[in-house]
Amino acid sequence: MNEGIQTQPREPGLTPAPEVPGEIAMDRLVVETELAGYLPHLSRMSKQLKETSQQIESSVVGVCNSFQGIAERAKQTVARTTGFLSQEGGKDSNTTSFESLIDNCSGTLVKILKTTEEASEISRRAIERIHQMDQASQLISAALLKLEQIARENRMLAMNARIEAAHAGIHGAGFGVVAVEVVSQTEKSQQVTAQVSELIKNLRALAGSTVDDLQRMNDRDRKRVEECRIEVDESLREMQATHSEMKSVLSGMTDAGAMLARDIGSAVRGLQFQDRTNQQIAHVAEDLDTMHAKLTTRLGPAAAAGIALDEGFAAYTMHEERRIAGIGGVESAAGEVELF
Amino acid sequence: MRTVMIVDDSVSMRQMVGYTLRQGGFEVIEAEHGQDALNKLAGATVDLILTDLNMPVMDGITLIQNVRKQPAMKSKPILMLTTEGLASKKEQGKAAGATGWIVKPFDPEKLLQTLAKVLP
Repeated sequence: MNEGIQTQPREPGLTPAPEVPGEIAMDRLVVETELAGYLPHLSRMSKQLKETSQQIESSVVGVCNSFQGIAERAKQTVARTTGFLSQEGGKDSNTTSFESLIDNCSGTLVKILKTTEEASEISRRAIERIHQMDQASQLISAALLKLEQIARENRMLAMNARIEAAHAGIHGAGFGVVAVEVVSQTEKSQQVTAQVSELIKNLRALAGSTVDDLQRMNDRDRKRVEECRIEVDESLREMQATHSEMKSVLSGMTDAGAMLARDIGSAVRGLQFQDRTNQQIAHVAEDLDTMHAKLTTRLGPAAAAGIALDEGFAAYTMHEERRIAGIGGVESAAGEVELF
Repeated sequence: MRTVMIVDDSVSMRQMVGYTLRQGGFEVIEAEHGQDALNKLAGATVDLILTDLNMPVMDGITLIQNVRKQPAMKSKPILMLTTEGLASKKEQGKAAGATGWIVKPFDPEKLLQTLAKVLP
């Protein structure tokens, strides 16, 4: 590829200018002078084409770099999400996967529920035992009543014995003393029976209130366990639904990533127009340079003395065009903002 | 990971081919012409070369001829990736030792498929 203008020596095969009559020679001089005036435009056009080619190439390189960044970020995002949701957890992290987390939570909640159910069962059994103890107390009360009955009969018997002892006179005196003693012992026995009755009554009252408390606690626990079970089931269902949703989002992201890769592939194919365009531009610029070099050699002194002819050429309105054309002046840089 | 050397005087083409190959899981070494490729080959292990045809300093055909002289590169695949599609040029490439010829613009997916085919 040629860079800039290269003045080449007259090629050996180039036909020398033939001898011509004066009028024709004059016309030729006019043509050559005019041609010489256009020469600077040839090199300018070549330079402009080369710069345009470079600009297109650097834009394409920028786009490609962006593609690389987009693709890398998409890959990383999918990899991170996949790692988070996978069974193994993050590949290089110590974090637990979402699925194991759900399993762990579920396991822990089931254990808590089981423990609560066991506690509830224990209090239910305690109530049952207290009921059994109450029944035993009732039997003791019944036995005490019998003892009371026996005591009353003993007193009656002792009273009859005293009467009989009185009838027997002096011979019954000892018997009377025994009867008095029997009455006394019976009274003591009745007092003990009354005390035991009272104790049993208190014990039964205490057992009754304990049973009530335990019953209330048991009912409350059962209700709470049931509520917890419903809440846990609901939470686990929600966690599983969220997990499924995340999986579906991930699947969507993977599909989107694949589509993105395909789109970038199409864009990469499309962007290759630049390679062909650059080659074409390079060939045109090369031909322009050759044309410039040949004309410069052919025109000789006329080319050196030629004045640039701008007539019929586009005005240089863009910064870069003016710069290539060598037109000076104060200009704002690209991206510069000035408020008036 | 397999390593592919891309030889092209166009920066953008190297970028585009490089992007495609990296996405395909390849390691990439870039060279801007044949001589640059030969210099870089001296200190590297390359599984495949993907080269342009027309380049300054040293063109693709000359590069292939030189590469094939190296014992380590005698049987490694070398693919031409060029805008040139003339049968006579292809014949020159084949004679020099090219494994295949891909005409630009390339299709990224097809390029990866072709690499998978020619790599042992």
